[in-house]
Amino acid sequence: MAFPKELIRNFCIIAHIDHGKSTLADRLMELTETVAERDMEEQLLDSMDIERERGITIKSTAVRMFYKARDGKTYMLNLIDTPGHVDFTYEVSRALAACEGAVLVVDATQGIEAQTLANVYLALDNDLEIIPVVNKIDLVSADIENTVREIEDIIGLPAEDAPKISAKTGLNIADVLEKIVSDVPAPKGDADAPLKALIFDSLYDNYMGALSYVRIVDGTVKPGDRIRFMHSGNEFDVTEVGVFNPARLPVRELTAGEVGYISASIKSVAETKVGDTITLADNPAKEPLHGYKQANPMVFCGIYPADGADYEALKEALDKLILNDASISYEPETSQALGYGFRCGFLGLLHMEIAEERLEREFDLDLVTTAPSVIYRVVMLDGSVKMIDNPSNLPSPMEIMRMEEPTVTAHIMTPPEFVGSIMELCQDKRGFFVDMTYIEESRVKLTYKMPLNEIIFDFFDGLKSRSRGYASFDYELGEYMESDLVKLDFLLNGEMCDALSTVVHRDKAYAKGRAVAEKLKEVIPRQQFEIPIQAAIGGKIIARETVKAVRKDVLAKCYGGDITRKKKLLEKQKEGKKRMRQVGTVAVPSDAFMSVLRIN
Amino acid sequence: MPGLYVHIPFCKKKCAYCDFISFPDYSAEDLYFVALIKEIRQYAPLMRDRVFDTVFLGGGTPTSLKPGRLAAMISELKKAFTIKENAEITSEANPESADEEKLNELFSAGVNRLSLGLQSADDKVLKGIGRIHTKEDFLRAIDTARRVGFTNINADVMHGLPGETEESYLDTLKLLFSLNIPHISSYALILEEHTPLYESVKSGKISLPDPDAVADMEDAGFDLLENNGYNRYEVSNFALPGFECRHNLNYWNNGEYLGLGLNSHSALRIRGEWTRFNNTENLKEYIGELGEDKLPVRNTRAIPRDEEMFETVMLGLRKTEGLSRQAFIERFSEDPAVKYAPAISELELDGMMTVSDDALKLTRRGMDFQNEALIKFMDQ
Repeated sequence: MAFPKELIRNFCIIAHIDHGKSTLADRLMELTETVAERDMEEQLLDSMDIERERGITIKSTAVRMFYKARDGKTYMLNLIDTPGHVDFTYEVSRALAACEGAVLVVDATQGIEAQTLANVYLALDNDLEIIPVVNKIDLVSADIENTVREIEDIIGLPAEDAPKISAKTGLNIADVLEKIVSDVPAPKGDADAPLKALIFDSLYDNYMGALSYVRIVDGTVKPGDRIRFMHSGNEFDVTEVGVFNPARLPVRELTAGEVGYISASIKSVAETKVGDTITLADNPAKEPLHGYKQANPMVFCGIYPADGADYEALKEALDKLILNDASISYEPETSQALGYGFRCGFLGLLHMEIAEERLEREFDLDLVTTAPSVIYRVVMLDGSVKMIDNPSNLPSPMEIMRMEEPTVTAHIMTPPEFVGSIMELCQDKRGFFVDMTYIEESRVKLTYKMPLNEIIFDFFDGLKSRSRGYASFDYELGEYMESDLVKLDFLLNGEMCDALSTVVHRDKAYAKGRAVAEKLKEVIPRQQFEIPIQAAIGGKIIARETVKAVRKDVLAKCYGGDITRKKKLLEKQKEGKKRMRQVGTVAVPSDAFMSVLRIN
Repeated sequence: MPGLYVHIPFCKKKCAYCDFISFPDYSAEDLYFVALIKEIRQYAPLMRDRVFDTVFLGGGTPTSLKPGRLAAMISELKKAFTIKENAEITSEANPESADEEKLNELFSAGVNRLSLGLQSADDKVLKGIGRIHTKEDFLRAIDTARRVGFTNINADVMHGLPGETEESYLDTLKLLFSLNIPHISSYALILEEHTPLYESVKSGKISLPDPDAVADMEDAGFDLLENNGYNRYEVSNFALPGFECRHNLNYWNNGEYLGLGLNSHSALRIRGEWTRFNNTENLKEYIGELGEDKLPVRNTRAIPRDEEMFETVMLGLRKTEGLSRQAFIERFSEDPAVKYAPAISELELDGMMTVSDDALKLTRRGMDFQNEALIKFMDQ
């Protein structure tokens, strides 16, 4: 009954952002008639609004297609769509581990980019067969020959007969399918061995609970089986197994080599962690599949309701969000300036932005967020170590022996003419030069070791503007490094505003203090009294600005009968006031707290 | 006692800062007046119980219309409504079109108060905001108005205009003193969205004096006005004794008024309910609906009692004599000093308000931060 394993191909598509990954996925589904053309919605696999809008994939999804190849046989192709951003590298690696092959899409107008390489390395780590595909050949600026050469030179893959396609127009898409059939190995694995199912993602469904998206490596699973998650040890009874059509379609069983989902009345995705191995409770596998890691948040920020009354609503929203994204952490915190809120941890800056956006959009919340922070390792004089993710919790400098911060190894690829300017940027961001190689005449790869703290702010924007958008960037996390770090505080009318505190390198404290003070002067509206803004390290004031007092706040003209309009103006002013946070005597607009982020 | 407002939505040229409804295209003038007369006649039976104390012809530029038009309209008003014997009848006018013929027509028709839009006596400033008259035009208009018989005259001036300095603003005021103009409205420029000035300022083509300079200007100007015998009886309005504008005082007392013409607003007590509504701001709709003998009314809304109270406070506190406790009690059977006690005590502490047996009053500081004060009342 099971589909012959030798006719199954499990593959993913990897690409740099905007190189056409999701568009190609759409075309493959169209050509295999998985989705009727009239039902095609652009970027079908990106089901979240944010994914479609930003053109990025956040969650992994999968789809099963049947393709009648030129050899006359019908193949089952399982496409696993992976996230495309460094924040989700671990998730990507697990999705890749669920495949035997990867279609590498390279934009013929752009060539190889940092993410292309990063993904190729991940794919090679997982022993995948890589099928290069040259995309966007319909564009005038496409340079097919050069792109082929780059793939051969930089990645070392023969690319002479790589499919040359246009995912947009649908040109030569069948060539890609043929390549998948001929080059991607059929899954190995033994349907009769003890069950080993790799979880490559999970999804929370309101009716079915948390679903595990799995690749069956060995064995078979069907409804009624009692399954065990090998890392967590939790056991559940399977209620349904199915495949992605791309809508979920229940099947009788999933067997070695197949890709699908398992539903077992699991309450939250936190219980079905990406990378964990599912086995059968009464016939367990000896050991789990390797590669499991606990995904740890790297970037932290305070999230507060703009209106204090929405605290409970925010808590509920976070609870719900976490049902579907176990990599977010949160715990309650209080700020003098912002009141009750949560300290939230994310995999990276994009992950953070997406979560904020989803909270605001899907739960209709108005949020105030503080500037993101990394986790500092603080070694105290008594030798104890504290991990600090909120600058305002930093112990007094008198008690600190030394401070350490997380670093990353950053890989930047750029045309040579921008190297000077990018090196300057990296130096400015406290980067240590590691390596520079010409991977070909027109492409340089720079490697820097940098504090994570420096890249979570505005590094990517700086890179884009200095390279006119040509440079690309990827990073992997490194170890902690001792740094001369200080806590930079801000005082408004003499009162410290905890939500504005930030940790910076001593050498940058003055510049940063000045810049933030100037910015605050812009964003804090004039009030009835003069407001001094001070930046301070310890007790020492390092910068000062003043918001002058407002002199008049009155509607000059109020007649002609249009009273309603005047009332509305007052309402608006009142609403604006409500959205302000009271720091001592000073009313501060909610977005001022993020302004610390948007300096330079 | 209720007031009547009639809107004349035509101007030879629209000023850069203006967001009132007016058109430079006079092709619809005839149709507009046919509709306006219909509207007047429609309201006549509905207003039978009311005696109007004031009439205000605003615009737009009433004096830019065809000769005879205004006189005909005023006579329609008098036929349709009961207008008090010694009613205050004001017409707005712009210096360039206030010629002897027009002013004679207005005066003979019973208009007894003239409100001239001067804005500034500095020709450079005038040009910068798109006015089509000069200081000379204004002097001529004043001269003509007095010759025709007008004694109750207002001049509108503005401060905070592009290119305006404190000196030019004070010179404008001094000119008005020398001409013995009995009423002066001095408005701080409000930069309204959807105006050419707003766009120019946004795009950086024009810069406005900074808010501190405008505040300095205003303080100096208002002191000068008071030192010259003009009483600041409202936020932006100054008068020699006995020349306060009754029509506008009625607004600030939250009294009844009927608006006629395009986009005019009305406030009337209808079957016991305090009701606000306005006419369409679409000229075609206005003409079309009246053509079918329908009133082109929009946004009719019964104002809840609490909101009516707040309106009364909001408007009353614009007057320097403040909100009359007696009038408030007569209207609502509640003492505002009791009803708003928490807001009032906060404002008193802050030096923004004083309370006497007669009235709640904003101090000068309170006047300057009136919005803040009103929000306190609103929050309650």
